[in-house]
Amino acid sequence: MKAFQYATAHSFDSARELVADNGMYLAGGNDTLGLLKEYLVSPNILVNIKSLPGLDKIERGSDSWKIGALVTVAQIENDPQIAKTFPGLQQAAAEVGSQQIRNVASVGGNLAQHSRCWYFRHRDTLCMKKGGDLCYARHGENRYHSLFTGNTCISPVVSNLATAFAALDAKAIVLRDGKETPMTMAKLYQGAWENPQSHNSLKPGDLIVRVEIPTARTSSAFIQMSDKQAFDWALVSCAAAANLSGGKLNSPRVAVGCISPVPWQVEAANQFLDGKELTDDVASQAADMILKGAEPHEHNGYKIPMAHALIRRTLLKLKG
Amino acid sequence: MPSWPAETKYISKNTLRIDAPEKVTGRARYSSDIQEKGWLYGMILRSKWPAAKIKSINLDKARQMPGIKAAVLSPAIEERQKNGADLTLRFYGEEIAAVAGTSKSACIDALKAIEVDVEPNDNFVVLEDDAKAPDAPRVWADAPNVGDSKPKETGDVDSAFGECAAVIEGFYTTPVQIHNPMETHGSTTSWTDAGVTCWSSTQGITSVKNGLAGALNLDHDKVRVITDFMGGGFGAKFNPGPHTVMAAKLSQAAKAPVRLMLTRFDQALAVGNRPSSFQKIKMGATADGMLHAFEFDNYGTAGIGGGAATGGGGSGVTLPAPYPTYKVPNTRVKQASVAINAGGATAFRAPAHPPGCYGFESAMDDLAVKLGVDPVEFRIKNAVTEIHKKEFKLGAEKFGWKDKYKKPGSSAGVVKTGVGCASAAWPAGGPNNKTQGEAQINPDGSIEFRLGVQDIGTGSKTVIAIIAADLLGLTPEQITVKVGDTNYPPGPGSGGSTTTASISPTIYDICTKALTQLQTQSGIADARGKNWKAACKKLGVSPLVVHGNWIEGLSTKPAYGVQFAEVDVDTDTGLVTVKKIVAIHDCGLIVNQITTESQINGGIIMGMGYALFEERVMDDLSGVVLNPNFETYKLATMGDIPEIEVTLLNMPERGVIGIGEPATVPTAAAIGNAVANAIGVRVYSLPITPAKVLAALGKVPKANSATT
Ligand SMILES: Cc1cc2nc3c(=O)[nH]c(=O)nc-3n(C[C@H](O)[C@H](O)[C@H](O)COP(=O)(O)OP(=O)(O)OC[C@H]3O[C@@H](n4cnc5c(N)ncnc54)[C@H](O)[C@@H]3O)c2cc1C
Repeated sequence: MKAFQYATAHSFDSARELVADNGMYLAGGNDTLGLLKEYLVSPNILVNIKSLPGLDKIERGSDSWKIGALVTVAQIENDPQIAKTFPGLQQAAAEVGSQQIRNVASVGGNLAQHSRCWYFRHRDTLCMKKGGDLCYARHGENRYHSLFTGNTCISPVVSNLATAFAALDAKAIVLRDGKETPMTMAKLYQGAWENPQSHNSLKPGDLIVRVEIPTARTSSAFIQMSDKQAFDWALVSCAAAANLSGGKLNSPRVAVGCISPVPWQVEAANQFLDGKELTDDVASQAADMILKGAEPHEHNGYKIPMAHALIRRTLLKLKG
Repeated sequence: MPSWPAETKYISKNTLRIDAPEKVTGRARYSSDIQEKGWLYGMILRSKWPAAKIKSINLDKARQMPGIKAAVLSPAIEERQKNGADLTLRFYGEEIAAVAGTSKSACIDALKAIEVDVEPNDNFVVLEDDAKAPDAPRVWADAPNVGDSKPKETGDVDSAFGECAAVIEGFYTTPVQIHNPMETHGSTTSWTDAGVTCWSSTQGITSVKNGLAGALNLDHDKVRVITDFMGGGFGAKFNPGPHTVMAAKLSQAAKAPVRLMLTRFDQALAVGNRPSSFQKIKMGATADGMLHAFEFDNYGTAGIGGGAATGGGGSGVTLPAPYPTYKVPNTRVKQASVAINAGGATAFRAPAHPPGCYGFESAMDDLAVKLGVDPVEFRIKNAVTEIHKKEFKLGAEKFGWKDKYKKPGSSAGVVKTGVGCASAAWPAGGPNNKTQGEAQINPDGSIEFRLGVQDIGTGSKTVIAIIAADLLGLTPEQITVKVGDTNYPPGPGSGGSTTTASISPTIYDICTKALTQLQTQSGIADARGKNWKAACKKLGVSPLVVHGNWIEGLSTKPAYGVQFAEVDVDTDTGLVTVKKIVAIHDCGLIVNQITTESQINGGIIMGMGYALFEERVMDDLSGVVLNPNFETYKLATMGDIPEIEVTLLNMPERGVIGIGEPATVPTAAAIGNAVANAIGVRVYSLPITPAKVLAALGKVPKANSATT
């Protein structure tokens, strides 16, 4: 890795100032260290944000919960109240990497992590995401890649939490130019949808301070499918959330992970589900709508039936 | 003829590894733990190009970097430079040079400072089928990519197919498997005026010693190789390899010991691997259920080749066909190796057998289904040996085959259960008959065995202690075992599942001789057991040192085995979950039950990875290995491991045979058959990923050609 400075920020202002235009925030470091070691990033400074006040808290309000950006994935996994209130979120956290990774991984870092595309992560390929002029995956080994994208790069979003948050309609609160800017998951990843070189919509200096989850949806679920039973990225993941009353869905939301640079949500499907009774058939129709227009590449066509199954199963799981 | 004792206290029982306390407390120092005084880090610069020519290379800048004490060229490049030959690079990851320095980061920076001027060659090829094309770029300018492949025939295969009641055809493929022992390749090597000492992570201290002496132009007595503890080799660690030769040269130049351990990234590129296979099989049986005709056309890649870097046995692409468990009277077998621009192959746990078994045993099941016969009965009918027949019967009984086997695809529901089986016939496993060893018996009754074998984690030291304890009437704790040093009498390389069969008779010989001599010297008629101490005391001042050799009659070959698998396949998501493996194996006289079972557990877990997860992925555009890490080169972990039930057939009358390799042979084939049985269609290609299962089920839409 290239030499860099290291500083610990104790206030939000100093964090912003220290990180300037060419620095990086450092939370758990799971992602950052890997990127540094492979020369994929070369910040001039790493700004440790772990001493910023208040970011490690979970505040449980009646309308919404606030999850600080430094709360770890393991905390979410092990919090019995989260398991009760947002089971989909707890399940998404429990599937992240390994126990060791979950122990250090922060919510903010999980959302802001960089692409896992193996061309992006390879030290000797200059792909589009790294400023090259070619998406190698599009032409090559694309088994882990997107079915939908708004640009040439087909690297998908792989954050488990992003998928779960999207279904819960949670917002990341981003400190931008001294102001708190709420961003839906769609908005947080819009940058990656549009621009092959982006991993998300964050600009230099943007700091995720917390995530706010409305408590409106009392049922939620998350399912992922991987090659291996444990310690493996999702090939496809799915989260769903809704209110269930009298067997009918109310304000349902479905989000699919790993098939697009954004957690994949189709508003028409959410509307279709609204007010419906959950049956195999309804779930299946929703899955059709969500996957409509998918553009499979040579090796990732399997994600369509897999996502279809996961959407159906996750929806049915809402019934408990 | 000598024979193993009928009554034993330790042999064929369970003895925990005698070095377990050292290992679990961390006192054991593995090769990668060695920290010699003043040691330096060593690191290798590798080719970033799948094919290129080096126009010039200059190490001076690297040598001047802070903390850097030495830099050397790779042995191959140095040699070519000396001869004025082209400095051609043939694969991504090929060694170019190495540096030694006081820290890892100093080395990484120095590698970046090495000035290499290359002419990249875009004419490379990394996929087998591309390399076979007549107009494909040549990996070796003076030879075609596809090796010689004259068919071998027995009987009259063409007319035999006409006599068959059922014939199947299939194209079964297996990927390149990467060597990933827990401990990567490497050593600490120290070159002083007295000679070279190399603490090597090796499964062959003698072959590393000889190889190193040759590469460094030193007399053999100037090189000593030590391997106290090592973390696995699986066939890839017999030779010094360029990394050890460079470590020695760096040490010479820096006048300090150099520890050069490869990284996981290095490991994926250039330490050898298991070749791929693409097996076109046509097979037929007569109406009475006997195999009758077999046609086999296979190709695979050993990268740039097996070549000189190959140790410990077949690394080529040639598979055992027909698989030796069975006999087919009429056969035509054609096999070809295909060169590609990728790291070369080397021996890999049971070279050629897991892919050979996978292809043939898959075809066996397909044929049984077509004939409408039970796959186990079909196998018993066609098995060559009585042992195999017995193992299939016993396995079927333990597994509950009769109840579990259903017509393919007939299990109800979305998640379908299936069962399958396969066999192993491991033809090697015989002893190394040059094995020697010695024991020193001290007047206080303590006894130390010294053998130039190495314990690669399999429990070889414990085997020595067990046998000595039983033959001398002592306990294993009373036996001190020293191995892993070329200063001891020469032992076998730990490969081919030959170690136990080599050292056990040698210990027998040492013990017999020691007892005779001790009894003569002490005048005590039976020096064993309770008389041992008294007899030793009579030695007076001088210890007794007894030398022994491997002797005939106490070991043999081959080993066999069968495995049964039960899987669940989710037909909506394609996920395969292995629920249970039942394994029946034989290896003659079981020396230590518990470590033998461990070998089988490990073999099954490795075989399961081969069945479901492992695969080197090459990118044809850039020529790189895309998955040089454990994130995307997937290995089975705890969550994947099924219930494993091992049954060992103890056959003392056959003598000692090895087990390490046959244990991993049939697993992938058995799992593949279970998947086919579950879903009613075959996945013809390993690893059996959800993507391939869904494709086999016809659920995957075609790629949108506009976007690819
Ligand atoms: C082997 C492996 C397997 C994994 N498997 C999974 C998985 O299955 N599912 C999954 O979801 N994830 C997985 N991960 C990713 C892992 O969860 C993330 O790397 C981790 O959550 C990042 O958190 P961190 O605190 O360590 O982030 P860091 O590494 O500290 O930071 C990551 C990035 O986020 C930025 N950042 C950190 N905090 C903030 C903030 N508050 N505001 C703005 N930017 C910020 C950093 O600058 C950096 O760019 C895996 C990772 C590894 C290494």
